[in-house]
Amino acid sequence: MGMTLDLSRLRKAYGQFDFGPVDLTVDDEVLAVLGPSGSGKTTLLSLVAGITSPDSGSIRLDGRDLTGVPLEERRVGMVFQEGALFPHMTARENIAYAATDSDRVDDLAAVLEVTDILDRTPPTLSGGERQRVALARTLATDPDVLLLDEPLSSLDAPIRTRLRDELHSLFASLTIPVLYVTHDQRTATALGDRLAIVRDGGIEQEGTPSAVLTRPTNRFVARFTGTENLFEGTVTDRSADGATVRLGDIHLRTTAASVPSDDVTVCIHPSRVAVDAPYVTDGDTAANTVTGTVTRWLNEGSEYRVDIDINAGAHTLTASVRPPTFERLALENGSDVQVLVPAESIHLIPDGE
Amino acid sequence: MTVDSESNRSATTAFGFDWLSVALVLGGVLLLYYVVPLLSLFLSVPPGTVLSRLSDPTVVDSATTSLLSASISTVVATLFGLPLAYWLARTDGLVTKVVLAVVVLPLVLPPTVGGIVLLTVFGPGSPLGDAAIAAGVPLTRSLAGVVLAQTFVASPFVVVTAKAAFEGVDRTLEHASRSLGKSRLATARHVTLPLAGPGILAGVTLAFARAIGEFGATMMVAYYPRTMPVQIWVSFQSLGLDNAYPVAILLVLVAAAALLLLNTVASNPWE
Repeated sequence: MGMTLDLSRLRKAYGQFDFGPVDLTVDDEVLAVLGPSGSGKTTLLSLVAGITSPDSGSIRLDGRDLTGVPLEERRVGMVFQEGALFPHMTARENIAYAATDSDRVDDLAAVLEVTDILDRTPPTLSGGERQRVALARTLATDPDVLLLDEPLSSLDAPIRTRLRDELHSLFASLTIPVLYVTHDQRTATALGDRLAIVRDGGIEQEGTPSAVLTRPTNRFVARFTGTENLFEGTVTDRSADGATVRLGDIHLRTTAASVPSDDVTVCIHPSRVAVDAPYVTDGDTAANTVTGTVTRWLNEGSEYRVDIDINAGAHTLTASVRPPTFERLALENGSDVQVLVPAESIHLIPDGE
Repeated sequence: MTVDSESNRSATTAFGFDWLSVALVLGGVLLLYYVVPLLSLFLSVPPGTVLSRLSDPTVVDSATTSLLSASISTVVATLFGLPLAYWLARTDGLVTKVVLAVVVLPLVLPPTVGGIVLLTVFGPGSPLGDAAIAAGVPLTRSLAGVVLAQTFVASPFVVVTAKAAFEGVDRTLEHASRSLGKSRLATARHVTLPLAGPGILAGVTLAFARAIGEFGATMMVAYYPRTMPVQIWVSFQSLGLDNAYPVAILLVLVAAAALLLLNTVASNPWE
């Protein structure tokens, strides 16, 4: 079947904060809305759910105009941040409150693995259990749209990862638009078929997770999606294979075609470079080779973040290094290294964006 | 700084007492001031005398009038007070503040003044009062008059306490209920009211206790039929203090029952 949620020129002004105008179309897919706190993510959900009414613009669901429709008639399912379970009802009563028949309660309880805790009350449930029950309750209404407001943000890391994986398969089984709001980039890219980056009440960039991650259109998106290396550079040569940029004394080959201006921001994601011993040469001619010195490193568990001074200290490049590599190279402060930066790992943003 | 607090501590202990003990002694005096007169009331009349007097027609009549009128007043106060409390809890701004001030006014107004205010609207000579008398339901010197006086004085307790109870219910829960397809009314019935229940019950209990003890405004609006407080005053005036005891003891028991209710099913707003 497939529903379409269509937001058009949607605006809402609060005292100090202006939301919109926002245009957004969500088909039968998961749109992950990623942004810092206070960027308007929750406002977006409140407007779609009908908790707040917009100053102007329209919200359409499969052509049906939702403007002015009270929230109980919208068929918009919302999973609130902490679950918003009714504390005076058991988990079963919470789900049954929304369900049209009691078989549905047991079916959903089985899907979300909460069958064992159905007779307990919300205060006795763990954060993860609460979110499962909340999700079951929302799905019990068979909504036409599913909205989720940071449902994983208050959970411990292992439970968050597990529930995230389950959500991924659950979303795949739904045939309705899903709007998933989060400030966590990993959750957003893991769950979203598409990503919308919001800031100050507006959408900065929209696209598939890999497109947004590898080709941010401005510095904010780059930084917010984890591209820590942003340098001022100058385009020195444009060829059919891509432009060459100068960064201090270093020339970097890129695969970027059609670069509009000479002054650019050079974006290099820490995970897309390789750190190696200074004397090693490999056959990869496509990669730029940059030499530098380790100035600082942090053990983040699954990876090391290593700061490397390049250009005689004029720039600091951050690289993420996998533990085996870190140990093999016996890295420490002052270690001389070479960094391999593949041409396709370099993204250029025109200056001023 | 460390040195200072060290010397302070040794100074307090040097006198052999600390401030917690002082607070306990001062508080104890006040506590005795509450308890001793109450005990003395129960001890001043032999239980047998009280029991025999309780069947006295004037006592029975006044108790009946009081319980009936206070019950009606409480129902009226709840019926009109809960919607107002909900509105106050869910709106903000200058209008809300003004409305709340108006609601609290009967609490701070001397009850006799309250009675006078009511007489100007419902009393003989006023258009409404005369119309009511013509229709055969006089609004003064009647049970209706007692209810009017009690509602005026007691209903703010329902509004103020229930407002706090409604405010304690997270709005997100109401939004959640409505997003699940339930109307505002169904949401109020199944989510808001049950969660605010103990607080509302506290307000209702307080209103009942206030209504049954109401004296000043009732005296002005409806001297007859006599409520218990009025009967106490009449007995005291005409027959002396001893004769006021039985009804007074009855009222103390009603108050104690209200307190018990507050501390069990209802949520005591002062805890």
